[in-house]
Amino acid sequence: MRDARADDLWRRLETLLPHVERPARYIDSEWAVQRDEAAEYRAALVYPDTYELGMANQAIAILYRRLNALPGVAAERCYVPWEDMAEAMRREQLPLYTLETLTPLAACDLIGITLPYELTYTNVLEVLDLAGVPLRAADRTDAHPIVLGGGPCSYNPEPVAAFFDAILIGEGEEAVVEIVAAHRSALANGYTRAEVLRALAAVPGVYVPSAYEPIHAEDGRLVEIRPLEGAAETVVKRALGSLDVEEAVTCPVVPYMDVVHDRANVEVQRGCTRGCRFCQAGMIYRPVRERPADTVVRDAVAALTCTGYEELSLTSLSSADHSQIEEILRRLTRRLEGTGVAVSLPSLRVDSFSIGLARLVSSSGRKVGLTFAPEAGTQRMRDVINKNVAESDLIETVRTAFEAGWRRVKLYFMIGLPTETDEDIIGIGHLVNEVVRVARDVTPPAERGGLKIGVSVSTFVPKSHTPFQWDAQIPLAEVERRQSVLRGAMPRRLVDLSWHDADVSFLEGVMARGGREIADVIETAWRSGARFDAWTERFSLPTWFAAFETCGVDPAAIANRERRTDEVLPWSHISCGVSVRYLERERERAVAGTPTPDCSFDGCTGCRVCDDLGLAIELGGEARG
Amino acid sequence: MRRAGFAYAVTQGFSPKMRISFGPALPVATGGDREYFDVWLRQYVAAPQALERLAAASPVGLGPMDVGYVGENEQSLSATLTVARYEVVLSEEVDPEALQRALGAVIAVGRLEVEHKGKAKVFDLATSLPKEPVAKSSEGRTIAEVVTRMGPNGSLRPDELVRQAMRQANLDGAVETVTRTDLFVEDGEAWRRPL
Repeated sequence: MRDARADDLWRRLETLLPHVERPARYIDSEWAVQRDEAAEYRAALVYPDTYELGMANQAIAILYRRLNALPGVAAERCYVPWEDMAEAMRREQLPLYTLETLTPLAACDLIGITLPYELTYTNVLEVLDLAGVPLRAADRTDAHPIVLGGGPCSYNPEPVAAFFDAILIGEGEEAVVEIVAAHRSALANGYTRAEVLRALAAVPGVYVPSAYEPIHAEDGRLVEIRPLEGAAETVVKRALGSLDVEEAVTCPVVPYMDVVHDRANVEVQRGCTRGCRFCQAGMIYRPVRERPADTVVRDAVAALTCTGYEELSLTSLSSADHSQIEEILRRLTRRLEGTGVAVSLPSLRVDSFSIGLARLVSSSGRKVGLTFAPEAGTQRMRDVINKNVAESDLIETVRTAFEAGWRRVKLYFMIGLPTETDEDIIGIGHLVNEVVRVARDVTPPAERGGLKIGVSVSTFVPKSHTPFQWDAQIPLAEVERRQSVLRGAMPRRLVDLSWHDADVSFLEGVMARGGREIADVIETAWRSGARFDAWTERFSLPTWFAAFETCGVDPAAIANRERRTDEVLPWSHISCGVSVRYLERERERAVAGTPTPDCSFDGCTGCRVCDDLGLAIELGGEARG
Repeated sequence: MRRAGFAYAVTQGFSPKMRISFGPALPVATGGDREYFDVWLRQYVAAPQALERLAAASPVGLGPMDVGYVGENEQSLSATLTVARYEVVLSEEVDPEALQRALGAVIAVGRLEVEHKGKAKVFDLATSLPKEPVAKSSEGRTIAEVVTRMGPNGSLRPDELVRQAMRQANLDGAVETVTRTDLFVEDGEAWRRPL
């Protein structure tokens, strides 16, 4: 039975729904929603974008299930209202609320906001403002909920440190339970806000920004990130020892409206040790921990039974690398025969896709899309980035796929990688030409009209905790020049070429490696109307340039400047477990074009994550030392 | 349907889909209290069991109210469900008696021109409104109960009728919500539910 406050909020909300786009974004009662109106402790789990993007986020789904299983705790969802609804809410003075019980976020005990992408930062401020919570952590009192961050961007939390009371570094399954327990205990003991934050800082993996002070030299250089009040010098990520300790999310909330990736998901493994040097995920999610085949099949069937979805995705950074993937697909194909359910494998690597895998994925009767990421156009460049894929691998993979009946494939490439030359750019065009030739050769003439090679090209953004974290991002003018070189080298027919907006990549580069000076810029941009920056139609670089100028911050000095390896970086106090020395060595090997093998199969390469964090690679249910 | 484990029929063709057909679409921004769909099964399940299984697999608030078998050769729901009853809830300042008079004045004209997607549409009210709308007070709100007839050339939106009536009578206030509360098959002079 809903309380009077919620009834009043619903009545006011209901009058707005007929006048906004996609009103299903703002209601709940979907299948499998979990609601506990009597819970003593309430956490709002916020994805900083719209409902239809947030519902695909597996981290929120995992934490939702985990926290709702705790006695006395309710975890509820919240997403960012689109501009029309936000305007209406401000006009009608309706606070941002959780979907499950219409609880205003400001009345929750904890607001957990995941940080999936740097261009969602203005949406974080939109959430706090709509919730009526002070934007800056320093302005919050005992009356306000704790604002906790997490997710991939937490590995350089400094641009948003001012807005969060605490930030979890790493995996949340176990940590979030400890955080809630610590918070509940602190509340029960009547702690002040400062005491609460100290209690949270004692939870391993929790970074409390107010307990650290960046120290700058007179010339503005960052020289130290000083821990205060007994805070740890380094905050080390949390990671699960094994992915098999609990089942995948087998009964997620099923939305009423179309959302992205609208299908059942089973996370088959976490981590990737292929060692691609540009890839932050490959560093921060180490080591590889697989869910064993038995568990995957069990959870997949449970997820399809509970949800009623007709598509299942086996997700991870590189699902085809799972040591038991063919067994998993064979067993699922048998179980799902005649049901019309399709199984998809996103994030395929060129060198782990095989004819056997192709036949298994297509045997469900519906071919879902194939996407590969060769990333670079020449072998030299692929060796620099440690993408150990030969041109023959890609061509053979494409041949296999088209012979098995696929007619569309998407290829991802990057330009602006360290040491890149025009020859490497032209190499992308050459590679795509070869792919087109092979696709045409093996496709019957009557079916060639359906052939489509999608090529998506993004601009490299150096990220924290990668071997390229010291490298400069290429300036915008140079991006445009290289794009022009690539356009000239691409085949004209059968190819759909798309670009990731270079302006967006530039801003991403600033946010990814900036420090606390970026907080003022984010707030200024938000106050100037920046929202939903990850949406092409909403992104405005001029708004951001104006914000940088107002705040006296030079974005090019952040994005386009090469760092010295002895510099203090804004994230130097955050550890993903991979040693800085390893990253330096990998950078040296990149310049030399020396590949580094995959430690999951070819022996330890010395990154230190297993030794220092007490973790181990787990393949097929067995730990490997 | 999949969660309930029904052996449903699928369409023929390159991309087989569940063979399911819904009744008349709800107008945009209109809720529905009693909507219908037809689904074809490959295996018989007794209606009470089907209702139970579907209810167990449905979200709260969107569950099935009734299940029944219909003949294979029956006309589609879209063709047979031609009468719809709506409840239009208005904001607090609208007086029900004034609204009733305003509706009466619009109906007396006999036709109503409505703009839809930039085009003017004219509705013959004797055909479009098989029953006179009623404005009443309920729990402190003014509600207009409007019954419309749906046809091949479109249906009069109940909220559009109410808005026009309010505009012509210079009544303050706004439409807050619109809900389709029932659907009927016309059986001569009588109306009946399909189940």
